Amino acid sequence: MTKLKFPDAKTGKLAWKGDIPITSRYTSGVAGQRFFQALKEEEKILGTVCSKCEVTYVPMKLFCERCFAELNETVDVGDSGKLISFAVVHVDLDGKKINPPQIIGLIELGNSQAKIIHLLGETKPSDLKIGMVVKAVWKMPLGREGKITDIQHFKPL
Amino acid sequence: MLENMLNLSGTALEEEDFRTQRVFFTTDIPKLEYAWDCGVAIGNYLKGLKQGKLWGTYCKKCKRTVIPPRVFCEICFRNMDKWVELKDTGTVNTFSICYVTWDMKKLTYPQIPAVIEIDGATKGKGILHLLAEVDPQMVRVGMKVKAVWKPKSEREGAITDIKYFKPI
Repeated sequence: MTKLKFPDAKTGKLAWKGDIPITSRYTSGVAGQRFFQALKEEEKILGTVCSKCEVTYVPMKLFCERCFAELNETVDVGDSGKLISFAVVHVDLDGKKINPPQIIGLIELGNSQAKIIHLLGETKPSDLKIGMVVKAVWKMPLGREGKITDIQHFKPL
Repeated sequence: MLENMLNLSGTALEEEDFRTQRVFFTTDIPKLEYAWDCGVAIGNYLKGLKQGKLWGTYCKKCKRTVIPPRVFCEICFRNMDKWVELKDTGTVNTFSICYVTWDMKKLTYPQIPAVIEIDGATKGKGILHLLAEVDPQMVRVGMKVKAVWKPKSEREGAITDIKYFKPI
């Protein structure tokens, strides 16, 4: 594709440049609100259980994705779990190098079979083993914002 | 307030809920930039505006002078034959008196958008712009108007290099 210039003294204006102002807000929703409230104020990771489908949803959901039943049973799945998989990330979304590399893990929480993705810290890739137990490291209460980053990372126990 | 107006299921939220952070939310301001290729005709048109000139193009087969200029005639599909410099005066073809802005804000003093047939162009050919320095009640179709330009140093090669048209 030809790169357009603006403005060009010889040929006149070739390209009209502008921007589209858009601001979006994405709310957590009813279940998300409770999930993040618990994360922020109680250091708890909440899920909801569909006993019919035998599934626990983390973060908690209001409805079962499989049978559409309303979910009323809330469980605290604990803040530790089993490392199912991990990846070492050397570049960010824009392709810039990350130094030191980030480690991202898939963690199965408690006995719930619910899995979340989060950062792994206070460790190095060579020390990680699939199946090892990892535990959440929480931010100090004052710095928490009701976001998943209120957990700084998970570290091996 | 919304709850009184509409009886919908769901959770009604107001600005206050976000301001006081009663609800959790993420906000995003994506950087959406675009560059629109003006092409030869509009490129030169905008360049002309920066110099305080209005350019049109002429088709000798159809004997039409059009503004804004195009590179081909949309009647006979031939290339246009030449560039024509037009005057910055014209005639009001149609107009509207607007007491609300595009995003529904109330205006005490109205904006008057108008289609202005530019002198030198074929009848009916003109541009959409604003009228000002005129009593809104006095605007008429057929009224002669003239462009009021921005000072040269402030022009940027945009249709807004003409501030508005005013009656002669």
